[in-house]
Amino acid sequence: MRLSALLAALTLPCVVGAQEGTWALTNARIETVARGVIERGTIVIRDGLIEAVGPDVRPPADARIVDLAGKHVFPGLIDLTSTLGLPSAPAGGGQGGQQGGAAQGSATPVRNVGLEPGRVIADELRPSASDLRTARDVGITTVLVAPSRGAFRGLSALVPLREESAIRYIVKSPVALHMGFEGAQGSGFGGRYPATLLGVIAYERQSLYDARHHAALQERHRAGTRGAVRPSYDADLDALVPVVRGAVPAFFSANRENEIRRAVRIGDEFDLKLVVVGATEGFRAIDALKRAEGVVVSLDFPRPTAVTGWSYRSTQRHALDDSAATDSAVRRLLESNAATLHAAGVRFALASGGARPGEFLANVRKAIAAGLPRDVALQALTVRAADVAGVGTQLGSIEAGKIANLVVAERDILGDSANVRMVFVDGIRHEVIAPPASERRRGGGAGARGGEREDAGEMARVAGTWDLTVTSAQGDNQASMTVTQSGATLDGTMATELGTVQVTDGRVTGQRVTFTITVPISGQTTAIVFRGTVDGNRMTGTADLGAMGSATFTGERRP
Amino acid sequence: MKSRVWGQGPGANRGPFKGETDAMRIIRRISFAALSATVLASSAIAQQAAGSPETPRLLAYPVPPAGRLVAITNATIMTASNGTIPRGTIVIRDGKIAAVGAGVAIPAGAQVIDGNGKYVIPGIVDAHSHSASESINEGTQSITAQVRMEDVLRQDAIGLYRELAGGVTTLNILHGSANTIGGQNATVKVRWGLPADSLLFQGAPPGIKFALGENVRQTNRTVLPGQERRYPRTRMGVEELLRDAFTRAQEYRRDWQEYERGRRNVKKGQPALVPPKRDLQLDALVEVLEGKRLVHCHSYRADEILMMLQVAKDFGFRVASFQHVLEGYKVADEIAAAGSGASTFADNWAYKLEAFDAIPHNAALMAERGVRVSINSDSDERARRLYQEAAKAMHYGGASEEEALKMITLHPAWQLGVDKRVGSIEVGKDADLAIFNGHPFAPASRVEMTLIDGRVFFDRSTAPTLEHLMELLRQKQGPRQVTEVLP
Repeated sequence: MRLSALLAALTLPCVVGAQEGTWALTNARIETVARGVIERGTIVIRDGLIEAVGPDVRPPADARIVDLAGKHVFPGLIDLTSTLGLPSAPAGGGQGGQQGGAAQGSATPVRNVGLEPGRVIADELRPSASDLRTARDVGITTVLVAPSRGAFRGLSALVPLREESAIRYIVKSPVALHMGFEGAQGSGFGGRYPATLLGVIAYERQSLYDARHHAALQERHRAGTRGAVRPSYDADLDALVPVVRGAVPAFFSANRENEIRRAVRIGDEFDLKLVVVGATEGFRAIDALKRAEGVVVSLDFPRPTAVTGWSYRSTQRHALDDSAATDSAVRRLLESNAATLHAAGVRFALASGGARPGEFLANVRKAIAAGLPRDVALQALTVRAADVAGVGTQLGSIEAGKIANLVVAERDILGDSANVRMVFVDGIRHEVIAPPASERRRGGGAGARGGEREDAGEMARVAGTWDLTVTSAQGDNQASMTVTQSGATLDGTMATELGTVQVTDGRVTGQRVTFTITVPISGQTTAIVFRGTVDGNRMTGTADLGAMGSATFTGERRP
Repeated sequence: MKSRVWGQGPGANRGPFKGETDAMRIIRRISFAALSATVLASSAIAQQAAGSPETPRLLAYPVPPAGRLVAITNATIMTASNGTIPRGTIVIRDGKIAAVGAGVAIPAGAQVIDGNGKYVIPGIVDAHSHSASESINEGTQSITAQVRMEDVLRQDAIGLYRELAGGVTTLNILHGSANTIGGQNATVKVRWGLPADSLLFQGAPPGIKFALGENVRQTNRTVLPGQERRYPRTRMGVEELLRDAFTRAQEYRRDWQEYERGRRNVKKGQPALVPPKRDLQLDALVEVLEGKRLVHCHSYRADEILMMLQVAKDFGFRVASFQHVLEGYKVADEIAAAGSGASTFADNWAYKLEAFDAIPHNAALMAERGVRVSINSDSDERARRLYQEAAKAMHYGGASEEEALKMITLHPAWQLGVDKRVGSIEVGKDADLAIFNGHPFAPASRVEMTLIDGRVFFDRSTAPTLEHLMELLRQKQGPRQVTEVLP
């Protein structure tokens, strides 16, 4: 065993800061999560696994000893809502299902992105070293990767955050079939079915019926009964069969109250092993969440104005001054979602919801500040997450026999002044090199948002008022947008020909900027996603109008 | 309706402030002014005004009291089925009308609503609505019988509240008209403030949207480069598609019947029969064939209405209602003979080629020939003033007051198959009522209170009216500020 580990170390490219081997971490304060806290103990790591842990464990002779006196050791954190290493959306195309049901589309070789229950994510992963490091540096050691959009998104993979070769060491695949409420890519009028929420739910329902039928044919055929018709070969239906049988869970993305209820209804209808993923409005659907097999609570808090019930407010008599107060009260309510669910007896894992790693940990702190017990938060990020992913025997706590995914920090990793020093993934040590102060602030180590200075340099400054010209097949349309920038986040409003609307999901990455507005077009609420590049006082890019197609836009900042 | 990628088309049903009246626009502007006033207000005042920050109002829907025992007294009661009672009382017990009449005693312990000087009518039923839905048109295929409006209901569409303020209590939430056979409808009650599931009108028979003419032919749509034209492109294609769909539904039903027969006769040693593959689209069409699902058919021209009646006759089902049906006056006898209803606009026409032959006398003329006619909104805006739309049938076509009232109450209820439950003020029916401050057909009248199942879901005395906002502004800024923000 040790020889093979040594050989592996010799043959693999040597990565700076990553060291394999047999380790003994001594004198550490060990938070095992499963079996309480060991105030002063030793962890022995061999062959990527925890060999022993306890207050009286003696380091073996061959181990490299790391004295962690005064340091804290935690199980590595698990994020069940990641797209890390996933190639950016492959191009859609093809005719797709003309009628409903997964069966129709599968004969064509063309990808039908978002409608691919048989898509195996493990086959596609190409994580970059910097993405791995960014997540690992805050203490995340394992991520569940699946696409973030689509009705049937594919079969997810649980990936350890080693170096690029991580995919070779995948913990589990498939973990689950990932589902959601988005339709076929590039669909719309004259486009592919299903384009709308209406169609998506019908499509999902039909596909699950198709899978049941397929399963019945397979079963009879396998029984070898003479005269039984042979079922067709269909990778997508084959992938759905274990889902309708309850052998593979369905991870259903659902954040808003009605989404959660819809997902749970589908789960009930087909007796799925349903895990609700997101549940940012879970506090409004506690009864529904209790019917699900599992819950993964996203900490990517929605904006108050995007919350179900906001319009109700305008029909209630209230004083003129309560807008701002309501706004902050709702923000508190959203941040206390996890606390509310915990108090109501809902068991859940916590996840980033797609937020950047630093922001994720900052949001965990907000959830704790809003009333979620800190120990529950740590469990939700470790053992409970491992349980939901079906790997509770391998990950999630510091126990002998489990995978050696560990985080060493100066203090509590969920505290305000977390300071991660090193991270073990599969027993491989990664040193955390402290980033320069400015980057730490941006990463959200200690409450990134709110009133802090903007970063100078690499990130575009987008704040101000922009005159936008959107060019579509229908001609030009004018809009003006006023935004403020806080770190990488944009907030503001846009005055369009359809009225003044909120700018949401505004993000700045280097010189690139994305933001979204939601407007009613022909009675349908349509999200328009802008993706552009900022060059001084100019901005250019594309606007994705969902079902309505796409457009280009240019912007000029008003002096 | 013409759909444009961006920009404002004709019709009021478009902007972000869908269905906005002048008064509402003023309120909105004042609200914006108030927003900036927030900044100026001292934090102490702001805090006081905001109430307890722990329970933000918008997320705490106050459920109206159950209204176990309610009496509306001394009101003019327009029953829609049994004439008008000049000074009458309505007693509501457990959400149902327990008594109605002139000499009805007020039971002890009843919550009394003083109806003196007020008019009470049955809650208005809108047979054509797209409120409360998160998506409307699955326009990718011309047959989408498998999609269900019930799946996409939302409880927080502001249109619902505005409908309550217009006395509307029941809505037929329909799929859009992009497809020959659109989605399954959802009949709902306007229980604004309750979760989406609670909107559903329990016990209402299921229905489905059909559509004919320009919308499904997609002649009035801009086709973007690279987009395919969808079949059918002509009215004959629409008919072919309908006949093909119902022929498939018949075959599908036969397959299931054969399976049910064969299942019982499987001999030992033979493989058990696997049931036919369930097809949700054909399931819905089989229900239509069997008369279990009501067809609501968007239509304009007389020739296509006759075509639809012929197709329905050939396949043995009834069209429950023709929607829009602007040329219905030309074929009223045929519609009446087929037992179909007609749900039309009061005076909305010429917005597209196939709507050119519309006349405002349509509703009254069809009613004269024995068609059960309703006036619908097809718009969150028009839905607020359906009582005025009904009055137009009196003005143009000479419909009687009771006939006009039925056009927004009993007739649409009949078209939706819920006339045993709502649509008139009768003992045993659901206590869905609208209370007006004057005659509902008088131009200046407005809804004071709207009840559903005996619960008050709208009460103008507590609603955020323009007067209320202006009063608040006067208290805060003095009158000068108010005049400044008014246009």
